[in-house]
Amino acid sequence: MKQKTLFEEGSLWPVIAALGIWAAHFLLSYWAAALWCAKAADGSGSLFWVRLAIAVLTLLALAAIAWLARHAVRRYGGRLTFEDDLTEDSAAERARFLGHATLLLCALSAVAVLFDAVPAVVFSTCR
Amino acid sequence: MTDAPASGPMHPVLPHPDCQDDPALREAQEQRLRAVWKKPTGWRYFSAVNNDTVGVWYILTAFGFFAFAGILALLMRVQLALPDNDFLSMSLYNQLFTMHGTMMMFLFAVPIFEAVSILLLPELLGARDLPFPRLSAFGYWCFAIGGTFVAGSVFFDAAPSSGWFMYPPLTSEPHLTGIGADIWLLGLSFIEVASIAAAVELIVGVLKCRPPGMRLNLMPLYCWYILVVAGMILFAFPPLIAGDLLLEMERAFDWPFFDTTRGGDPILWQHLFWIFGHPEVYIVFLPSIAIIASLVPTFARVPMVGHSWIVLSAVGTAFLSFGLWAHHMYATGLPNISLGFFSAASEAVAIPTGVQIFCFIATLLVGKVKRSVPMLFAMGGIAIFVAGGLTGVMVALPGFDWQAHDSYFIVAHLHFTLIGGVVFPLLAGLYYWFPFQTDKLLSERLGRWAFWLMFVGFNVTFLPMHLTGLLGMPRRVWTYPAELGWDTLNLVSSAGAFVIAAGFALIVLDVFRPKGRQPLAPRNPWGSPGIEWSAAVPGESWGARCVPIVTSRYPLWEQKDLVREIDEGRFYLPDAEEGQREMLVSDILDAEPTQVQRVPGPTYKTLLAAALLGACFIFGTYKLWWLTGLCAAGTVAAIIWWLWTGTSQIPEKPEKAAGRGLTLPLYASGTRSVGWWAMFITMIGDFSAFVGLVFAYFFFWTRHEAFPAADAGRPDLRLLVTGLALILAAWALMELIRRRHAAGGIAWARWGCPLAALLGLAGAAAFAGALWSAGLEPTRHVYDATCWVLVLWLGAHVSVGAIMQLYCAAGSWAGRMTPRYDADLHNVELYWNFMAATALCSFALLGLFPLTAGGP
Ligand code: HEM
Ligand SMILES: [Cu+2]
Repeated sequence: MKQKTLFEEGSLWPVIAALGIWAAHFLLSYWAAALWCAKAADGSGSLFWVRLAIAVLTLLALAAIAWLARHAVRRYGGRLTFEDDLTEDSAAERARFLGHATLLLCALSAVAVLFDAVPAVVFSTCR
Repeated sequence: MTDAPASGPMHPVLPHPDCQDDPALREAQEQRLRAVWKKPTGWRYFSAVNNDTVGVWYILTAFGFFAFAGILALLMRVQLALPDNDFLSMSLYNQLFTMHGTMMMFLFAVPIFEAVSILLLPELLGARDLPFPRLSAFGYWCFAIGGTFVAGSVFFDAAPSSGWFMYPPLTSEPHLTGIGADIWLLGLSFIEVASIAAAVELIVGVLKCRPPGMRLNLMPLYCWYILVVAGMILFAFPPLIAGDLLLEMERAFDWPFFDTTRGGDPILWQHLFWIFGHPEVYIVFLPSIAIIASLVPTFARVPMVGHSWIVLSAVGTAFLSFGLWAHHMYATGLPNISLGFFSAASEAVAIPTGVQIFCFIATLLVGKVKRSVPMLFAMGGIAIFVAGGLTGVMVALPGFDWQAHDSYFIVAHLHFTLIGGVVFPLLAGLYYWFPFQTDKLLSERLGRWAFWLMFVGFNVTFLPMHLTGLLGMPRRVWTYPAELGWDTLNLVSSAGAFVIAAGFALIVLDVFRPKGRQPLAPRNPWGSPGIEWSAAVPGESWGARCVPIVTSRYPLWEQKDLVREIDEGRFYLPDAEEGQREMLVSDILDAEPTQVQRVPGPTYKTLLAAALLGACFIFGTYKLWWLTGLCAAGTVAAIIWWLWTGTSQIPEKPEKAAGRGLTLPLYASGTRSVGWWAMFITMIGDFSAFVGLVFAYFFFWTRHEAFPAADAGRPDLRLLVTGLALILAAWALMELIRRRHAAGGIAWARWGCPLAALLGLAGAAAFAGALWSAGLEPTRHVYDATCWVLVLWLGAHVSVGAIMQLYCAAGSWAGRMTPRYDADLHNVELYWNFMAATALCSFALLGLFPLTAGGP
């Protein structure tokens, strides 16, 4: 029951969920690198395993965001528009508004997640 | 978040209640409302809790601190005007720049947002007041007392002097820094608590006190920004409070968190400070954007272009800005890849910031802009801010940062963003909302003069500083020799500073000049769309004649007759039959009314509680522990007295007619009540402070070969298990009590609550015993200190939880809590959920984690 209300149509959580995914991805990547370099790295400071982990994390995060975006479109009728202002006085319009915001935040989060993956492509050692 | 039906019957029950046609009835209603909402007069004035009174105090106090910090800046500029000047001593200069920075950031930039929001929010929502008027009064008094204490220290040559970010180890040695650092740490912690209190109130206000029909998609942008910024405060301030706690423990009791000889590490402070510090930049900047977002549609005379895009940007900025903290720590030897993550987030955050400014510009282009003083300040601010953003991009380039690092270039950049992003938009807001609060307009001519003086003065002061910085002048130096070629530039900067001051003085003059003979401002003088402008002129202290139904994003533009119908009391709560202050509570998504909430009136109890708490912090600064303890006990007593007599009162009848044929309950508990949400939000903030401590533990773990070291004591596992079991038992019992009590088992509350309190306290004692018996000594090594600080945190929270449980039991005995009216019990149950989580985390860190590290 709880599980259902959390994502049920009309809840506020999906709006922040995408950014939550970004935050998790950001923190996990940061921790993985910081812990690896502080604790596990050998003399060469190779980041191979961390980079692999970040690659997996990034794919997972993007998949989760994609699922959320689909949810926003299907359940909320969210669309990517600029002109349509969603100002009607009805519960359905409010749901569309939330869907719209969720969708936009999914796009923003996806970009931010990709940005965060760039350092893992660029750097190959702890130094 | 709620499970309201997606569609359902909505407000218009009776379109035009005929009974309100009777002028005599309306007159009687107004009389009753006026009596109920009357502000205390004479010497009782200071017991007021109305949001419009407290909001004005708050704004004036914050601007007072701004002026004070500005005068400090002028003194510094006098000192720097000439080379080899000795107008100020070096020690005094250090105190001045620290105090200037600290006051501008903590006593002006953040509080002013809360001040303005406390004043505006209820009116933006067509509500009578905020849900917890006494809490805002309490927050205000904490702010005023703490701020005066911090500001006053400068007169006793006792001010902090290590810069506004207080880096240890410079600050962790008591004999190096004197009392100043203690004043900073304790005084500001006190104020941060007040900021969090206000944030809680504002969040609950936006979520639960909207007028019927104001669905999320119709909510004004200003409210979205309040939600976002208050949420950021909730996550950004607690880590700083955790940092303050650690640093003060080191200073007062020699717990070596930042002392490298005993395993500590000053870098930890930098992390905790900047987890707060970078979001802080957006915490002060987003509210100003919110003000501009309110002005733009009014003066462009068209709806905002891309409303939902702005909402998205505000939410996005809030999140992304937390991913930036380490970009202030490039010089501390973090691995390159870690720094890379922070640069990535820094770039991502530019996207939403750009979207907001783009939407504003688009709106201004679509509409026909009416020239006015508020728009002048807003546009001037944006121009300065954008220029500051450009130099920011330059500073972010690694090579350039190396050049400009800690030079006057940074000082220039900082003031471009802060003055353009905070001060100018605020002044725009001042000119815009002044008639809303005082019924008089500010002078247009003086306003233009003030603007141009400040704008020109600003550029004369801070533009040359870029050059001074590039010529190599470092920041935070109290004087400089003549032959380096910095003198002319500095003289120009100093002259400019006085021009800014003149402009600001003009505004102060305009605000305070007697306006007795000036005619009243017309109603809604700017032709604005927001319902805050529906109030009659001259205004009344009841906030709203009645609570309107809102069906559009721009009600005063699009809802014909709205103002007349409000005046005639044709909406909800047009009367105060029972002589009580009342407001409407609604659901989060669609703002369907769910309850009539009674709010308490004027009182001195909040002032008393704030004064005692302030005394507690001040005595703590001077290490007068007995008096500190006494005041702490007094604070608890005062708060209990305030809660007991002012909250969750059992109403004389279960429901009342709220107007338009709608009957609403007068009491709610659990998720339907505002109190539950306040507790929930407070505990989220509280828990993020705890997460700050957990972060410290892991941070030390990464910094040591072995943490705990092989020779360190291990907390006794059996005692820890006992402690955890007891606390979880207290939590489970609380759940059970709440259920049984709701089913009529009064005895459960009367006897079960004290039992649960005992269980919890015994559990905390067992945790302490586990460290004690293992011989952990907080002054020996940072491992011991970290363990103790976790247990200290747990113990303090469990004690507060125990007091709450006893409060519930007492409430049941006294008959103020019954199975039907059990809001207190719901809230305490919620609190204990967080206690269970805290105990579990502590157990994992203290008991399980050392097992992975091996050891004896
Ligand atoms: C009224 C115009 C202002 C003037 C003339 C001014 C002047 C100064 C001066 C001379 C310094 C010291 C520079 C140094 O020695 O390194 C300084 C530092 C600073 N100012 Fe301002 N300021 C003004 C307004 C503001 C405002 C409105 C804010 C924030 C809202 C602000 C925030 C700061 C901060 C954070 C510092 C750094 C303090 C530190 O280094 O610890 N200033 N300002
Ligand atoms: Cu920053």
